[in-house]
Amino acid sequence: MSATTQTDAPARADRFDRRTALPIFTKSLSDGWRSVVGWSIGFAAALSLYLPIFPSMSGNSQMQDLIDSLPPELTRTINYQQIDTGAGYTQSTFFGLMGFLLISIAAISWGAAALGGDEESGQLELTLAHGVTRVQVAFERFAALTLKILALALVAFLLILFWNGPAGLDLDIGNLVVTCLIFGGLALVCGSAALLCGALGGRRIWGIGGGAAVAVIGYVFNAIGNQSVDLEWLHNLSPYYAAYGNAPLANGADVWTVVLFYAAALVLGGLAAVTLRQRDVGV
Amino acid sequence: MTMNSSTGIGIEAVDLVKTFGSTRALDGVSFTVPTGSVFGVIGPNGAGKTTIMRALLDLIRLSSGRASLLGTDSRNAGPELRRRIGYLPGELILEGRITGRRLLRHYANISGPVQAGRIDELADRLGLDLDRTVRTLSKGNKQKLGIVQAFMHQPDLLVLDEPTSGLDPLMQQEFLSLVREARDAGQTVFLSSHVISEIQQVADEVAILRDGRIITVSGVEALRDTAIRHLRMSASGIDVADLHDRLFPLAEVGELEVLPTDTGAEATAILTGALSPFVRAIASLTLTDLVVEEPDLEESVLRLYSDANAQPARQGLGR
Repeated sequence: MSATTQTDAPARADRFDRRTALPIFTKSLSDGWRSVVGWSIGFAAALSLYLPIFPSMSGNSQMQDLIDSLPPELTRTINYQQIDTGAGYTQSTFFGLMGFLLISIAAISWGAAALGGDEESGQLELTLAHGVTRVQVAFERFAALTLKILALALVAFLLILFWNGPAGLDLDIGNLVVTCLIFGGLALVCGSAALLCGALGGRRIWGIGGGAAVAVIGYVFNAIGNQSVDLEWLHNLSPYYAAYGNAPLANGADVWTVVLFYAAALVLGGLAAVTLRQRDVGV
Repeated sequence: MTMNSSTGIGIEAVDLVKTFGSTRALDGVSFTVPTGSVFGVIGPNGAGKTTIMRALLDLIRLSSGRASLLGTDSRNAGPELRRRIGYLPGELILEGRITGRRLLRHYANISGPVQAGRIDELADRLGLDLDRTVRTLSKGNKQKLGIVQAFMHQPDLLVLDEPTSGLDPLMQQEFLSLVREARDAGQTVFLSSHVISEIQQVADEVAILRDGRIITVSGVEALRDTAIRHLRMSASGIDVADLHDRLFPLAEVGELEVLPTDTGAEATAILTGALSPFVRAIASLTLTDLVVEEPDLEESVLRLYSDANAQPARQGLGR
């Protein structure tokens, strides 16, 4: 008797509701696009404040005098040594500082919410009770995280491209593309660390902590490593330095630097999937 | 292998043990649910009902023991098995920003195939407006959403944790008729509650769970026969001794206490078994109050258990 539901189901299955491919991924995107728009507005605001004033900074010896008069430790810390070129200025103000801050916060909050936050709220339990695997959930959410971060990197690229001429930045487009990819890759590493730590602890705050640790320690190690030759070894521990240490916007970067970030993020995403697979969820 | 439901076993749980740190949440739970039947678990909060359900769905991993659902081992079971299961968590948390319809569409994407029109049919029956944002729904209406997502793909097995929580009595009845229809269609239903009344109407068998152990599994009728009811009554124009003499001889009355009141006397007691002898005994009294509580099956079973087995009282039994 019980078999009837099983065997008869396909026979009267003529009218089933249509299903979406990659359901978790598409759900993450449909939930997340507003957030992407919000952060994009933040990018537009930051870039439209900084970039248009470059001409008045670069040709202005008083500005350089001001920078020179600051303690060298400070200018090294905030990477303001080279703001007399368009590439140095864009790097120092946006990629190295404001943009880094904004995209890191976005990536970490998304990454922390994706598994840790979802479990903490109690919704992950019901999702996993459906016809999905944990690895699938982790990877589809990692993919959505990647796409959202790349969308922000694309927004940054387009905005900077827009200001390149009017603000006289004189940026090399190829270098800008590579720098934007690294910009997104660094954020994705922070976001993936947040995803992993959220999967480990089952709490949003674990993800925030883990992701912020990667971002902040990377920034701090870079800043300290900039101070003296004795401390330069700290650069080796800094994802931030790996991204921007060789000034990719001015000098370009080899493809392996870009690959490194995305491969590292993929490893972190994979670890998140494996971690989630092992755990008791929702306890 | 997973398609072999001809074995007739919906759920087979063998010696389930789950420890969280030093807490033993499940302490050797075994039971079997035939396909096409309704199996209820009752027990106080913290008895382990939710833990059993989470373990069946592989949300948490057993410390030892094994469970198979529809002939498939639940541990690391693939999505194919869970497509054939409908689950309603005890603590239902739903995304709040979207409409009920969109939320159900999402769950339909990751559950077994849902027949066109099925979601609206269920929503109609439960009186649920699918076009409202989930956040704005009352607890009862959110619970209805949870019920719809569990039933919509007509799963072979339904695992429902406190399914009627938050529903008004009318909707509880509608829910129970959904459960009956599911059983009649050959679906297996495993549901929990901390009150017997909502389970006794539909369950074929009931397990009483306490401190991570199943104390008894029996048919509902058998349980009801052993039920004890708490009684409180007061009558005017009668003194303490008279009232005592009327009630005390009755075999069904136990733990009798009679106290004087301004106008007469009041009594508290427990009633076991048939009610009619008690009703006859008080028929001629001028009652000012009479409260016979719903049978507390859990309590009666616990008493029976501790009497019959003369087992050293487990924690909580002697309370």
